[in-house]
Amino acid sequence: MSNTDIVLEICGSAGEGTISSGEIFNRYISSIDFEIMSFDTYPSEIRGFGKCVAHSRFSTQKIFTPGKYTDILIALNDAHSISQLGHLKDTGVVIYDSKPPKYHEEDKSIVGWMEPGMISYGIPFNDLAQKAAGNSRGRNMVALGAVCALFGVDHEEFKNTIIQRYAKKKQIVIDNNVNSFVEGYNWANDNLTKIDSISFKKGKNKNEKESIIINGNQAVAKAAIDSELHLYAGYPITPATKIMEILSHELPKKNGIMLQTEDEISAIGNVLGAGFAGKRSMTATSGPGFALMTEFMGLSVMAQIPAVIVNSQRGGPSTGLPTKTEQSDFNAAVNGGTGDLPRFVIAPASVEECYDGTTLAFYLAEKYQTLVVILLDFFLSNSIRNIDEPTPPTEKMLNSNIAPNEKELKDYVRFKETKTGVSPRSIPGTPNGMYTTTGLENNERGKPQYDGKLHTKMSDMRYRKLNSALNDVPKPKWTGPKKDIDVGILSWGSSAGAAYEAATIANKNGHRVAVLSSLVVFPVNEVDLTKFCNESKQILIPELNYSGQYANFIASYINRPVERLNMVSGLPMASEDVLSKIDEMIAS
Amino acid sequence: MSAKDHFIIIGNGPAGNNAAEVLRENDKKARISIISTESFSFYYRHRLKDFISGRIPAEDLVVKHYSEYKDKNIRLRLGQFVEKIDPEKKILYLKHMEKINYTKLIIATGGSPRILPSLTIFQDYLTMFSTYSDTVGLRHRIEKAKEIVVLGGDLTSFSFVKSLVKACKKVSFLLFNDAFWPISLTSEMILKIEENLKSHNVATFFNDSVEMIKKSKSKYTIETKQNNKIKSDIIISLMGMIPNIRFILGSSIDTDRGVLVDAYLRTNFKDIYAAGDCAQIYNPILKNYWVSIGWMNAEEQGKIAALNLLGDSKIIEPPKEEIFEYEGIKVNTSWWKKF
Amino acid sequence: MNNNPIKEKVRTNTILYSKDPRDLSAIAKNIPCQNACPANTNIPGYIRCIYEKRYGRSYDLNRMYNVLPGVLGRICSRPCELMCRHGDSDLGEPVSICYLKRSAADLKSPMHRIKENLYESSGKKVAVIGAGPSGLAAARELSLLGHKVKIFEGNGKHGGMLMYGIPEFRLPRDILNIEVENILRLGIDIEYNAKVGDNITLDSILKKFDSVILTTGCSLPNQMRVEGEDLEGVYNGLEFMKMINDGEKPEIGDKVIIIGDGFTAMDCARAAARLGAKDVKVNMRKTEEFMPIDEKEKFEVKYEKVKFYSLVDTQRIIGENGKVKEIEFLRNRLIDSATASGGRAAEQIENSEFTLEAETVIIAIGQQPDPTSISSKIKTDGNWIKHKKDSFQTSVKKLFAAGDCLTGASNVISAIAAGRKCAHEVDNVLTGKARKDNVVRFEMINSTDRQRSFDFIEKIEIPSLKFQDRFKSRISEVETGYDGNIAYEEAKRCYLCNLKYEIDVSRCIYCSACIDVAPRDCIKMVEKIDLKKDPSGKLIETQDWNKVTGIVIDTSRCIRCGVCYEVCPMDCIYVTKTELIEYDLEG
Repeated sequence: MSNTDIVLEICGSAGEGTISSGEIFNRYISSIDFEIMSFDTYPSEIRGFGKCVAHSRFSTQKIFTPGKYTDILIALNDAHSISQLGHLKDTGVVIYDSKPPKYHEEDKSIVGWMEPGMISYGIPFNDLAQKAAGNSRGRNMVALGAVCALFGVDHEEFKNTIIQRYAKKKQIVIDNNVNSFVEGYNWANDNLTKIDSISFKKGKNKNEKESIIINGNQAVAKAAIDSELHLYAGYPITPATKIMEILSHELPKKNGIMLQTEDEISAIGNVLGAGFAGKRSMTATSGPGFALMTEFMGLSVMAQIPAVIVNSQRGGPSTGLPTKTEQSDFNAAVNGGTGDLPRFVIAPASVEECYDGTTLAFYLAEKYQTLVVILLDFFLSNSIRNIDEPTPPTEKMLNSNIAPNEKELKDYVRFKETKTGVSPRSIPGTPNGMYTTTGLENNERGKPQYDGKLHTKMSDMRYRKLNSALNDVPKPKWTGPKKDIDVGILSWGSSAGAAYEAATIANKNGHRVAVLSSLVVFPVNEVDLTKFCNESKQILIPELNYSGQYANFIASYINRPVERLNMVSGLPMASEDVLSKIDEMIAS
Repeated sequence: MSAKDHFIIIGNGPAGNNAAEVLRENDKKARISIISTESFSFYYRHRLKDFISGRIPAEDLVVKHYSEYKDKNIRLRLGQFVEKIDPEKKILYLKHMEKINYTKLIIATGGSPRILPSLTIFQDYLTMFSTYSDTVGLRHRIEKAKEIVVLGGDLTSFSFVKSLVKACKKVSFLLFNDAFWPISLTSEMILKIEENLKSHNVATFFNDSVEMIKKSKSKYTIETKQNNKIKSDIIISLMGMIPNIRFILGSSIDTDRGVLVDAYLRTNFKDIYAAGDCAQIYNPILKNYWVSIGWMNAEEQGKIAALNLLGDSKIIEPPKEEIFEYEGIKVNTSWWKKF
Repeated sequence: MNNNPIKEKVRTNTILYSKDPRDLSAIAKNIPCQNACPANTNIPGYIRCIYEKRYGRSYDLNRMYNVLPGVLGRICSRPCELMCRHGDSDLGEPVSICYLKRSAADLKSPMHRIKENLYESSGKKVAVIGAGPSGLAAARELSLLGHKVKIFEGNGKHGGMLMYGIPEFRLPRDILNIEVENILRLGIDIEYNAKVGDNITLDSILKKFDSVILTTGCSLPNQMRVEGEDLEGVYNGLEFMKMINDGEKPEIGDKVIIIGDGFTAMDCARAAARLGAKDVKVNMRKTEEFMPIDEKEKFEVKYEKVKFYSLVDTQRIIGENGKVKEIEFLRNRLIDSATASGGRAAEQIENSEFTLEAETVIIAIGQQPDPTSISSKIKTDGNWIKHKKDSFQTSVKKLFAAGDCLTGASNVISAIAAGRKCAHEVDNVLTGKARKDNVVRFEMINSTDRQRSFDFIEKIEIPSLKFQDRFKSRISEVETGYDGNIAYEEAKRCYLCNLKYEIDVSRCIYCSACIDVAPRDCIKMVEKIDLKKDPSGKLIETQDWNKVTGIVIDTSRCIRCGVCYEVCPMDCIYVTKTELIEYDLEG
């Protein structure tokens, strides 16, 4: 059985239903057991005529990137779609509106720009939608109908997906969408002769495990609920808002609280308050909001209060590029804030890791009484995947607070020095567990005290927590050859997917390429890092930022030159990008 | 010539390609575009029959690869239909709703399958092919089919039947000798053909005609005048080619069976030329109009149209003998006396 | 919705009439089919009636303007369909206006009540010479207006070209006869075999009647003026058809060559095929493109295995023993010509002669009027009757002329229209006043029940006999007509261009929601409306929002789909039913 691996893009203008049709298509295709990875781009403005692209990759095999080159491009809008042709495959298919209201001027039509070998199918989107529903809103559904007809997708089952998607809407909306879809399907069946060979017919074999369709934000929210989150406080910001939105429905069901604050400073303040009170709490934000939170991050560390901050990165600095993906908050996450600020930084590489990383974050925050930053990015937040039902946190992870025992409570010392650096923490309300705490440097009993000797001791203790935690977190993932590595890729966050894929292909091509990536990017597991680097002839660090933040960071640990691959195009990294860099490195 | 020139050739066959090459050789600056309804590179049409019956792969059809166009800076617009020409404003209207301006135009659209008027009512049941796209789907259908009926009205039909027989299909053949294209068959030829087909185990129906075609599920039944009932999975109609000029009608470019051109291959519009199987030319020797067929004719005409477009005044030589070349075979005939 | 009760009333109940030239010009632009019809038949009106299954009303609407709907529904040359908006290149095929006319006639109840608006008797007498379409239309109109009419018909039967020119397989005679009878029943006398200029003089008629209308059509066949035209086996097309339509069976051979490419030539070719000819060829000087017949007719002729032979010029007809043997032709080429139809004329190619065998030759290259055979008093210009400009008045007092005898061979609908107009002129002269005029009627309506999905119904060709059934009888009607269901489907296709969609600029909020949903570029952002270039208003468009003074529906592009009406959040799109109607000035 041959593998199916299809990249589909729907490109249109804001308001044309581009993203929602992509979402419906993704839902259906993943329900027939395709691996899926999606990436949407849309304009930052809420209303207007900006360009929207719903990009998805479907495969019968495990995939790690959304795919750089498109197989099928659905052009709801010619002007916007022409630029998407640049990454259509040589034999790619374009589905376009064959009956716009008037003739395009020369070179303003997508078909005119197609390279020989590409295949086009024209469908009168407008006419068919109007025929089906009396208005042209169902153009996107007509297009989906045609796609189903052309590429062998079961249209009856697909119809149900549409019905589900609009289940909360009025019956007429459902009918119009379904009718438009059917119209497109029938028209394409009757009028088009298929000359490409793309087909969605073969799904992968059913997994024993139940699979779910989920994006990064949903995975974080689900993990937070599963980790018994009690309070979420936040201020909306793209691309993190969705987390807040989900929790606003889900938290109250679990007697939790979702609090929309006046700003991000207030949000993190609330999180610390709840943390101090012994409840699991979290906030989610993006770059600009994260910057506002740095002052309270310091309090979390100094007062040793658990806190989880999700930072879904977008293009920066400042308000930057709200709807583009980037990995440029690494410095801020690892170094942000004033003073010596030990914290954990978790950077999931996939939607699965978004879940696992979040449950881990709550565990670490509570156990080590400190700040945990989870770094997502726009791509990961919004990218839909078809994943196995994740493993919920264990009892141990849910109750990770190291509480003082009865003996300790007899004379409770909140910040007592321990080997691990973790002092038993009493939850306010514990008999005999009273203590004072402050943002000022303090002694073991929480009293402000500023002498150099104490500050040295306490700083050491706070950093000691990180070292002792190294055994408590998953080890870095080493894929590929263990020895004689031509190119060793040190990867982090969502660009790790591209690194895996590129390495796999490179290894098939006879090279020796390995990838080391860690869910926990700070603190660094130096043992594995050193071993990996020692085995690698060359080191490559691909990341989506301009200055090579991770490369600069890692250089101080490994003390040798590294090759960098930096991209700030607003798009996720593609395996092709990494692969060509690998080839270049091996060739030199 | 200035760089503002945009020469457009409609059709990516031998005439069109030859014209494009000649234009580029003589004018390095002009924009040159080829527009073709085909979604496949320039290919040998006469090999399609072997491709359909699954005997050769698609690669074996190709004459010219895409890169060769790029190298010569010729823009190849494939899968694009010209729907309308406005010769006054010099605009082409394409089916995908794009307007294209040209300064000079060569029409080299070749032929499309002829359908007999008496068979038009059964049109939905008939399969015809002339383009690569037509054949892709057909190839799969043939692969699955067991019984195939060929309605034969041209030379291709014989070689196609042989190709099907080699692919182990059960073939029935109905000869349309009174409408045969492009030659008229003599009774001697007919006998020979019948004998030949029978020796290949083809069921032949000569001197018969289609009365009715019925479809039930995916099976067709042909009822003939002689009360024969022939069952079939596919009915393939091969009745020769007619110039592919439908899109020109109503544009005020003169047409008859083909695009009417003078001996310089010029139409009634100064900057519009036609070449190849779609052009109709008066032949003073035959005292008749003729439409060229065949690869070599098309290449020659493409070249001459291009040269004349660039300002030359070359005359197309009419074929002197009653011989023409078709699918690489020279046929001695006087077909054009009986159009 | 609209809360202003006054406005609401305005929108539903007001009916206005206008004779403003701007409104007349607008209606010509808006309802292209009606404007193209020489008789100005209310096409959207009668198609709408078919949709409502009111076939009788639909028939009446037709009959008001064109008096022979059953006939025209079969043989009309359909100038309307050429202009139908549905036939715009981006919108598909025109509505089958003609077939629908036929279905109104076919589907109305068999003993349909005919309503005629009769005027009181005027005491005036009018003679009509010729009972062809033009004469019949004139006679009927004059009778309605109260005049006593008598028709003088030279042949033994009425109908003129309809009876003698058009073959029965295209026009069954019972249909023709019923519709003519319905005219004659108005008290019109008819005298058959009264050949004016032969067995009766024009002068004697002029003496007895207050006015005389000449509607003798074109009866003089054009001559080839080539050698051999008088050989045995050479027929004139019109004579050939007349013989057939008189029930004779002209003798023809297996090989028949028709010279000519018009309707008569096609009728001859098809009739010849029905007489048993094996090989029928139609020869034309130019190409198929320039044939004065429509694509459907071309298809039918070819379907009946008639072959077309283009770009040939007849040189001479060669005989043997006094009988036709073969024809010598020259090839033609097309050349530019300012005067020829389509701007192209045929020119012979030197030394291109060739021959074709033929046993029968039918020459059908048109015909001309023959006024001098009627009376030498009628002043002519060549073969054409001299007449006052924009009038039917000839050089002879009291004598009017209308139809083909005035204009040369045209088509039935033009002849009917002319007969009717001529009748109005005669009435005007006889009574000294205009009694009828065209006005535009406006009626505000809310919307239509027309659905957008109707626009996507494909044109339905008229069911026809299969090849083998066509030749069983020489007179079997080839086209069998729509049944009620098909007619209903086809009627749905009509855009109803008599509805006018307009945006009330004073209430429009420029949201452009209508532009977003427009099916084509029919709603425009307009800078100004130029009334100088076009009295109904030429839209000057702009893409610059700063210059936009209004969002306007371009009624010449509008397909009346109503989508804009649906989405308008301000409910500021008005629908007006606009109709060109004949208005009784004496009311």
